[in-house]
Amino acid sequence: MTEPKSKISRRNFFKAGTIIVGGVAVASAFTPFDSFLFASEPPKGKGKWYGIGIDINKCIGCGKCANACKLENNVPMDPFYFRSWVEQYTIKKDGTIKVESPNGGIDGFTQSIPDEEIFKSFFVPKMCNHCAKSPCTQVCPVGATFETPEGIVLVDDNYCIGCRYCVQACPYGCRFINPEKGTAEKCTLCIHRLEKGMQPACFEICPTEARIFGDLNDPDSKLNYFLKNHTTMVIKPHLNTGSKLFYNALTSEVR
Amino acid sequence: MPQQIKRLVTVFAVFIVMFLILRQVLKPASFGELGHYRTMAIQENKDRELHYAGSDRCTKCHEDMATDKSLGFHAQLKCEVCHGPGLKHVLYADKFKDSELPDSLKLTKPDQRKDCAICHDLNAARVKIVFDTINNSVIRQVKTMKHNLVDKRNNEKIICIDCHNPHQP
Repeated sequence: MTEPKSKISRRNFFKAGTIIVGGVAVASAFTPFDSFLFASEPPKGKGKWYGIGIDINKCIGCGKCANACKLENNVPMDPFYFRSWVEQYTIKKDGTIKVESPNGGIDGFTQSIPDEEIFKSFFVPKMCNHCAKSPCTQVCPVGATFETPEGIVLVDDNYCIGCRYCVQACPYGCRFINPEKGTAEKCTLCIHRLEKGMQPACFEICPTEARIFGDLNDPDSKLNYFLKNHTTMVIKPHLNTGSKLFYNALTSEVR
Repeated sequence: MPQQIKRLVTVFAVFIVMFLILRQVLKPASFGELGHYRTMAIQENKDRELHYAGSDRCTKCHEDMATDKSLGFHAQLKCEVCHGPGLKHVLYADKFKDSELPDSLKLTKPDQRKDCAICHDLNAARVKIVFDTINNSVIRQVKTMKHNLVDKRNNEKIICIDCHNPHQP
């Protein structure tokens, strides 16, 4: 028994196929699929493109930045909610590394290891890296977190469902769930201050000017001056997050 | 066209139309204008309340202290580093006399040993920190909880600011 011959001819089949495929292609030229837009490169050379510089050599670990952040943004004062915090890295002579951050550094640091055992010790202030290809925005199932055209990663707390995916996805541990609102919260780069021509609170308050804030697209900005004159590095470069937080004197122990 | 295809097409058409209508109703305003998010959310983030005023605002009224400070090692410190956020104070304090200033508008006066210790306590991580590259000034450190705890003349407990003026240390 032979297969029954299809009623549609080869010519008509190709005609219909071409119309469907061509139609989709033409339609997508007018409104490209969002997924294509999302995977595109960050906008460069037009408008502002904010970045951050931190000089580890200058940080004295006073924790004023962590405190200022909490006061400016009404972050809960409990010792486990931080948008910005300071860690002390101590490398002992036996090669072990101790990382400590008592209350995010807000109450100051007391040296817990005697001088004789220390090979070296330094402070690392941490905060949101405002990644250009941020892992946290990519996992949001409802579109409640996003990168603004200026390169700031924000949370829409009226739209967030509190599913915690983004908290898991951030490789730098910069997000948490606000215990009162039940929504994700993170550093906004004090966008409400930027709007009024002020610096973000932690940059405003740093006593040694270890924190530098600026526009990466502006060749004369303080940040570009800092990047030109120091050997800077981002944390976890292998993750290709497009981090815009550049550290001077970052060592491989920091992660 | 066979009967079953006609029915399937109708069912699909109804679903697609319903989807489009529901999408129009449920999609929040301004969603998708710039990307997969509500554009309004940027403005909502911008509308939040400020707390830190910036040191230029302090200098306008407290010029004497500002000049005092500008001559010492603490010159590059902003006022709010030690005294806390002061925008409320800046906005409303001039309506009151000094003695009648309500507590909510007063700024903190950090006068305890621990307040100085936050920056000046001896710590291995602070030893080589040069905060002023022009004068090569290294941050002064001391064991703040052991350094001159009592006044030797009358055996009374003393705090850092009894000897050091915080505006000109």
